[in-house]
Amino acid sequence: MLTLVKLLQSLVKALHSEGTPGQLAAGLALGSILGLTPLVSLHNAVVFALIVMLNVSFAGALLGWAVFVPVGFLLDPFFDHIGHVLLLHTPALKPLWTTMYNMPVVPLTNFNNTVTLGSLVFSLVMFIPFFYLFRWAVARYRATIGERVRQSKWYRAVTASKLYNVYRLFKPE
Amino acid sequence: MSVRIFRWRAIGPLLVFLGVGGVLWWLFADRIARRSAEKIGTAIVGAKVEIQSLHIDLANGDVTIGGLTVASPHEALKNLFQADELVADIDVLPLLEKKVVIDRLAANGLRFGTPRETDGRVPTDPSASVSGRVMNEARDWAQGFQVPALQLATGKIDVGTLDPRKLSAIPAAEALSARADSSRKVWQTGLDSLRLGPTVDSATATLARLKTARATDLGALNEARRAIDQLKQARNRVTTLDRSVTGGMTALRAGVAGLDSAKQRDYAFARGLLKLPTLDAPEIGLALFAPTAVSQFQRALYWTQLAKAHMPPGLQPRADVGPPRRRRSGSTVRFPREQALPGFLLRTAELSFLLDPTAAQPKKYAGRLTGLTSDPAVYGRPTLFEASAPAVTAGAMLDHVHATARDTAGATVQDVKLPPIQLPSLPMTLDPGRGTAQLGFALRGDTIRARWSIRSTHVQWARDSAAPRSTGADLLWRTLSGISDLQVDAGVTGTLSHPRLVVRSNLDEAIAARLRTMLGEEAAGAERRLRAEVDRQVDPAIAPVRARVTTLQTDITKRLADQRARLDQAQKDLEARLRELTRIRVP
Repeated sequence: MLTLVKLLQSLVKALHSEGTPGQLAAGLALGSILGLTPLVSLHNAVVFALIVMLNVSFAGALLGWAVFVPVGFLLDPFFDHIGHVLLLHTPALKPLWTTMYNMPVVPLTNFNNTVTLGSLVFSLVMFIPFFYLFRWAVARYRATIGERVRQSKWYRAVTASKLYNVYRLFKPE
Repeated sequence: MSVRIFRWRAIGPLLVFLGVGGVLWWLFADRIARRSAEKIGTAIVGAKVEIQSLHIDLANGDVTIGGLTVASPHEALKNLFQADELVADIDVLPLLEKKVVIDRLAANGLRFGTPRETDGRVPTDPSASVSGRVMNEARDWAQGFQVPALQLATGKIDVGTLDPRKLSAIPAAEALSARADSSRKVWQTGLDSLRLGPTVDSATATLARLKTARATDLGALNEARRAIDQLKQARNRVTTLDRSVTGGMTALRAGVAGLDSAKQRDYAFARGLLKLPTLDAPEIGLALFAPTAVSQFQRALYWTQLAKAHMPPGLQPRADVGPPRRRRSGSTVRFPREQALPGFLLRTAELSFLLDPTAAQPKKYAGRLTGLTSDPAVYGRPTLFEASAPAVTAGAMLDHVHATARDTAGATVQDVKLPPIQLPSLPMTLDPGRGTAQLGFALRGDTIRARWSIRSTHVQWARDSAAPRSTGADLLWRTLSGISDLQVDAGVTGTLSHPRLVVRSNLDEAIAARLRTMLGEEAAGAERRLRAEVDRQVDPAIAPVRARVTTLQTDITKRLADQRARLDQAQKDLEARLRELTRIRVP
């Protein structure tokens, strides 16, 4: 329940932050990579570092991660299939995989796992479409019902919590 | 408004985050590694792998494992081995390639076959784990052997059910009965068609007239001669019928004799229903020791096939089941390459182990393992194991470098406590005591050649008190309990799909001789019972037919004799009167 409340808080604050729709959409899109791919992978450390270091919405990233985790579970069979095709049924890629498998560090990404590779490829391919989709959706939201929500009592209650202070540390500048 | 790309002030928290990660690694790396090692080891072996402590010293490239226990995948309450301490000297750089290369491993205090308190086997899904699949294949292979069972331990022979429909004497008797009836009718008709009554009556009347006739009464004389001719003709017909009856009776008597033959065949058929156990010594060896021998071969096959699964030949990409996690495991594909490092390589292991660890003074030995790798084709050399000591010789070679895998293993252990053997067909247990055990195993592609033998001179026998007592079991017990030497040799040759098992022991002949004695009495009794059953079913059908044929023979013979006697008497009377009339009297 607390997690849901925090997610709601993140959503509300993200949508009404000072960040641009582009920053929020970038955070959501990066968060989708965390959610769609198996979390404990080296590439997700890179994605997390990008979320922290790049001037994107951290709350949006958390929101994207939370939303896309169940989607990842649902799409796992599809990811598995993509991974199988890429790793085992595409001879042209075999030299690439062999090279990567015998390189330092790269094998730590678990790229040679069908689900990991399939989900990573899928999330990277969908990154740009997600980015534009989320940017359009955030802009539409702010232009339509955003101001009314900002004036509501429950919005004030949410933003008044202590968690907001932590959030402000990572809010887009 | 320009938007900056980087959030520089987040570097501080990120560094703190990394620092916290580093501290957590420092705190929990050993625990995480220990659990991972247990999980991976369990998946590989197919039985629980337990580690008491594990310490990683990356700075010096050392990993120390304390209190390693690997349960046996074949026996519930036994460990495959335990080790007091394993110290591995690992290469750190290959870890960046997610490869584990151990330059040297020192294993101290290895003990084999130690007991454990809980079942160490893990239920495995054959479709999801390599060990489960290999275990199933090895089990199926072992179950493919046809092992005969001795059923004489209780001195009983199984008597099959005698189906009257399968007895040949009964339908033969029914057929003969029908033939006898038919013959009786035919012969009765023949007798009736002789019409002897009118002929004899006519002759009698002629004789009466002839008594009053004179010698000059030629009409009467001629009539008498015609009557005699008629009598002769009638007698010829009787003779013809008699011949036919004789032939028919001969056939019927042959039929009766055939009933006896059919009954003998029924006896033979009934004897075939006796499920007599084999008396051949090789078969007895199979029945007694095949389960134990096959169990040894099954284990050797399991380990070699497991090694082949985890150390496959060739350089083709290989897909294994991915790591267990909440998300789908998927498949993890390995891409070995020549002149690269294998995914796992143990260059050298120095093994220090104890044999017979439960003895008062267990003996300490040393062994050496080299070239254990997950990618033999990449490493380019076979895996070798050797251990030798005055009483122990063991060696193994797993050559998966080329396309056709060649696995060989052999071990001879002398003066070691051999485990008791439960003889599956006999109500007794054999405790070989201390003796010599030998196992040789070679698998080249699909061709197997394996040998297992044990020798002991201090055999002890224990009778199964729960087994039912019988005279046969008592005799067998007296025979075997006096034997103190044991020599068992078992071998498997052929292909994995069509293996041939041979088992011989010095007990075979002794048991075979005793069984022959026991069987001689028991089999005779069983045969008597079966013959009585055949008699009970067949005799009611045979006896009436036999009596009917006898009666028919007596009856028809008597009737023919009577008729012939009447004809003879009438002819004799007529001829006598005729001679009397035609005699020339000299005044």
